[in-house]
Amino acid sequence: MEIKKSIKKRRIGIIFNLLSLCSIVLIFEYCKIEQRDSAFIAFEIIPIIIFIVSFIVTFIKTGLWGFIHKPLKKLDEREIALTSKSLRYAYGVFTVVTLIILLFLAVTYTPIDVVLVASLILFAHILPAAIIAWTEKEI
Amino acid sequence: MESRKIYNRIAILRREKSLTRNELADKIGVNFQTIGYLEREEYNPSLDLAFRISEVFELPVGLIFSIEPLTPLSQLLTKK
Repeated sequence: MEIKKSIKKRRIGIIFNLLSLCSIVLIFEYCKIEQRDSAFIAFEIIPIIIFIVSFIVTFIKTGLWGFIHKPLKKLDEREIALTSKSLRYAYGVFTVVTLIILLFLAVTYTPIDVVLVASLILFAHILPAAIIAWTEKEI
Repeated sequence: MESRKIYNRIAILRREKSLTRNELADKIGVNFQTIGYLEREEYNPSLDLAFRISEVFELPVGLIFSIEPLTPLSQLLTKK
């Protein structure tokens, strides 16, 4: 029962984390197109705070961030298999998401900006830990 | 290739030896959570890990692990 609850909490944390990351990019893009600088500062701060809080709660406090960054020598065989599986899934998901975004940008003739690139790098870095948090019963 | 489920007697043998999950984990060099996964038969150990477990319990690997559901040792002893 406790395990189910904790998975649910972790999944909610991941949803908030990834949605806030998307919001950061979307608000930035919207403000750039509409040229609203003051609105940008006011609205951008909300998803940034949500992102930081959900990141701390979901990844730092659960020890997932430490786990995913442990050297291979300190992991046992199950943990190595787990990180390998998560990296494999993360690579697939990241490739699909990035290709969709790049295709959309190419079709709409939208230039790529730094915020999008930074968010994609952050997304790639978060993804393996997010996959473990989403699928594993115990962390 | 899909791996077969491997059944084991780790939970009962650990309790028999009055070992905690942490103690057994330290003896075989894995994380204590891995012991939980092994006991729930949610993870198949490598041959090396299986031998390390058998060394701790001083029993042959074949008596601890099986590809068929295991009958309790007491039942095996009383069986004619």
